[in-house]
Amino acid sequence: MPPSIKARYPLTWRVMDALEWLADRLWPRSMSRHTGWLLIAPSLIIVGSLVVGMIEIADTSLRTLDTATFRMSESYSLANYQKLATSDVYLTVAWRSLLGAVLTTALTLILAFPYAYIMVRTRSAAARKALLICLFLPFFIGQVVRAYGWLIILGNDGIINQATGLIGLDPHRFLFNFPAVVFGLVQYMLPFAVLMLAPALTAIPEEVETAAKSLGASWPRTMRHVVLPMARPGLIGAGLVVLTLSLTDFAMPAMLGGGSQDFIANAIYDQFFRTSDAGLGAALTLLLVMGGTFLVGVVLSVFGAGTLAAGRRA
Amino acid sequence: MTHTIGRMSRRHLLAGSSAALIMAGAGSRAKASEPEKPAEIIVRAWGGSWVDSLKAGVSDPFTKLTGIGVRHDLTEDNEIRPKVWAAVDQGRVPPIHINWDTTTNATKSALRGITVDLSDLPNLKNAMETAKPVGLDGFPIVNTYGYVYVLAYRPEAFPNGAPKSWKELLDPRLKGRVAFYNDGIGMHFPAQVAGGGKLEDIPSNMAPAWEFIKQLKTQSPLLGEDPDFTTWFQKGEIDAACTISTNAREAKKNGINVAWTVPEEGCKYDTDGFWIPKGLPANEEYWAKQYINLALSVESQQIWLDGLGLPGVIPGVKPPAGLMGDPSYPTTPEDFKHLIRIPGKVQVENESEWFATFKSIMQG
Amino acid sequence: MISASQRFWFWAIVWVSVVTLSAPTVVVLGASFTAGNIIAFPPEGLSLRWYEKIALARDLQQAFLRSLIVSSICMLIAVPAGTLAGIALARYQLRCFNGVQMYLLLPFTIPLIGSGIGLMMMFGRLGALGSLWPVGFACAVINLPFIIWSVSASAAQLDPDLEHAAANCGAGRVQTFLYVTLPAVMPGVITGSLLMFILAMNEFLVSLLLVDARTVTLPVQIYNSIRSIITPDLAAVSVVFIVMAALAIAFLDRLVGLEIFLKSK
Repeated sequence: MPPSIKARYPLTWRVMDALEWLADRLWPRSMSRHTGWLLIAPSLIIVGSLVVGMIEIADTSLRTLDTATFRMSESYSLANYQKLATSDVYLTVAWRSLLGAVLTTALTLILAFPYAYIMVRTRSAAARKALLICLFLPFFIGQVVRAYGWLIILGNDGIINQATGLIGLDPHRFLFNFPAVVFGLVQYMLPFAVLMLAPALTAIPEEVETAAKSLGASWPRTMRHVVLPMARPGLIGAGLVVLTLSLTDFAMPAMLGGGSQDFIANAIYDQFFRTSDAGLGAALTLLLVMGGTFLVGVVLSVFGAGTLAAGRRA
Repeated sequence: MTHTIGRMSRRHLLAGSSAALIMAGAGSRAKASEPEKPAEIIVRAWGGSWVDSLKAGVSDPFTKLTGIGVRHDLTEDNEIRPKVWAAVDQGRVPPIHINWDTTTNATKSALRGITVDLSDLPNLKNAMETAKPVGLDGFPIVNTYGYVYVLAYRPEAFPNGAPKSWKELLDPRLKGRVAFYNDGIGMHFPAQVAGGGKLEDIPSNMAPAWEFIKQLKTQSPLLGEDPDFTTWFQKGEIDAACTISTNAREAKKNGINVAWTVPEEGCKYDTDGFWIPKGLPANEEYWAKQYINLALSVESQQIWLDGLGLPGVIPGVKPPAGLMGDPSYPTTPEDFKHLIRIPGKVQVENESEWFATFKSIMQG
Repeated sequence: MISASQRFWFWAIVWVSVVTLSAPTVVVLGASFTAGNIIAFPPEGLSLRWYEKIALARDLQQAFLRSLIVSSICMLIAVPAGTLAGIALARYQLRCFNGVQMYLLLPFTIPLIGSGIGLMMMFGRLGALGSLWPVGFACAVINLPFIIWSVSASAAQLDPDLEHAAANCGAGRVQTFLYVTLPAVMPGVITGSLLMFILAMNEFLVSLLLVDARTVTLPVQIYNSIRSIITPDLAAVSVVFIVMAALAIAFLDRLVGLEIFLKSK
């Protein structure tokens, strides 16, 4: 039925009918079982731009650098991969990245869970807002200036060491080591984790907890057996975000690692920017992407699909 | 700095070179032979006191003479390189007109064949031999000044006076209190001497250098870049560092107590320079060349390098106050005896290897 | 009801987090009022000289405007695409579900340098470098998972029966989507959009490869100007940034009520 016949109905009805009519023409109901793919298509295409880049990077990774002309070879070889496979330093750096990412994920979730829980459950609107603002503010000073702020607080002549100096302690070096990098990553990732966890926690009715407690469960037991399992999708979603972002991070190891705590992304930076060996940098990039994606696959298949699986239509 | 710019009169430049003549004339009389002027040219520069002195010594006078604005792109030299290379490869107009670059990095671009030859710059006639890049044909790059990777230190940490040898950095009391560039640049060659090796063996046998750097590693050094050293000195994180004298001087100017020296093993001497990427419109390339030519005039070098505290490549530039006879300001053959110069081509060809070895020692 | 000991422990951890999150901000905030030449805390004397300096810096203001444009483009691309994808992931049966998720996480598993180089080559070939939209697009793609996930978390809470009910009452597919599904995921869309906007305002590594001196954005400008000494004007920029953000958040709060979607039901 053409939309014009319903001219005497309110405007919104007419617009709605026109849209429905259009939808039926463009995407017939017989296609409905593919609607999910239709909705997800724009994102698939957008991310496709990165895949295009990755194909280029895969191509580069098979070429070697000629330092007489500073161009990549015309011919393909596996030389870059062989170089990486036989080098101890890249193995060390890869382990450090993995260990750093796993530690960061665990610590961030431990801090993020109570934060999200209190933010969601508190009766005080002011407290909730304050907690929300604390999450967003650190973004605005930028990572470099933030690292400088940490130097003022935790440096050898920093606020903490001056305070402990008053009670006669020698200055302690907090920064420029592996724990400092992990600390930096945790405080950078915390807002992301809380924001991913909060919706999962709002979905858990408070009555469930009250019920558990009225049945005699202590709060740690209620957390362990009721809240944590129900918040699992959020925990996995937050965990995946923190894991992948810290695995590929570049800034924290560079700024708080004192130069000797490189992650893989720093090694990639060096190859692309410092020594101009795009081939080696590309090979490292590709290995990191494959490693990270494999890790995501493992997490998804072991723990289930996280946030995303919770409300899917069967 | 305005009074110094004012001092640089048009007459000086007229006397300076024929290109300057063209430019000086451009202000009042239109010349038919002169290519069309762009509204501005983009010069990549390092930030802080680096760009400030370039602006005072070269960019502002250039604008005054030609009416062409100068925009400074403060992207790191390492980070602009892939951008320029990609632009030239893809046949696009490069994002910058002039790259102010380290000679080593510039040599890579020159070897790749993407730099414009600058042999016809009139002011090159007056230049010293250091202006010419070693091991390259013609002038794909022009060196504009030299600098030394000095041993900078906090005098309070060295009560017996300036450290005489790089080996003093191995003193246990300096554990965790020394810093180097994170690719080891500046340290490779002095380490070769300190480790008991010969400079002639570079690059074939650098084992002594790596041996010495392994010893340095036991001191848990901090590794960073130019801004880190200043920050670390300022915040009391380190007592000594191998860095460019300009950074140490900048720190000192900002009230941080830092001194510098050239130890007995010597220090690495290197140069920075200018180059123009291929692929610019002809008129813009012309004016970019005029900019570099102006940078090679005595007047511009005087102001620019006063700011940097570095020796130029044009005779007649007077050392800034306090740097006469300073080891970081080499002018005489005697000064250069303590400095280590390795041709850019040798450096460029082996640099990846050296960086990788340094990293593998430090990351282990 | 939260028991007393739980409250104690949870708040203890929350305070640790709050202090960790805020400490550098407080220091930088204080340092911006210094009268001296370096960022120090406590500041050496009080003055507004660094604010005066940035108020006069036209390049900073232009870079800030460009960042606003970049962030807007980023949201125009990411919010619709991410919202639809979030809904699709949470509410529709998709084949190779894990594979799709791994694919959509590529923006996080590819290191930023890799993404930046790849996008630079692609946009270079298209001849698009030099304008701001590639930067906005890049910020959208590298942070896309955030909006997808925050929307899908909200969508997961929607009871499918509500959509069925709407359909039963005669609502068409578009109407059900606009009047039932979309309002239900709005909290996720708002959180996600806010995050996308903020991240785009602060992105420097990928942007660095996509801008030139005429299109430089604020974070790139700041990153590049830290060359020899970190001067207090950067602290002052951060403070101005924070104040503007606070105003924006307050405005948003007035408009939609920020806390409503975080409160437990």
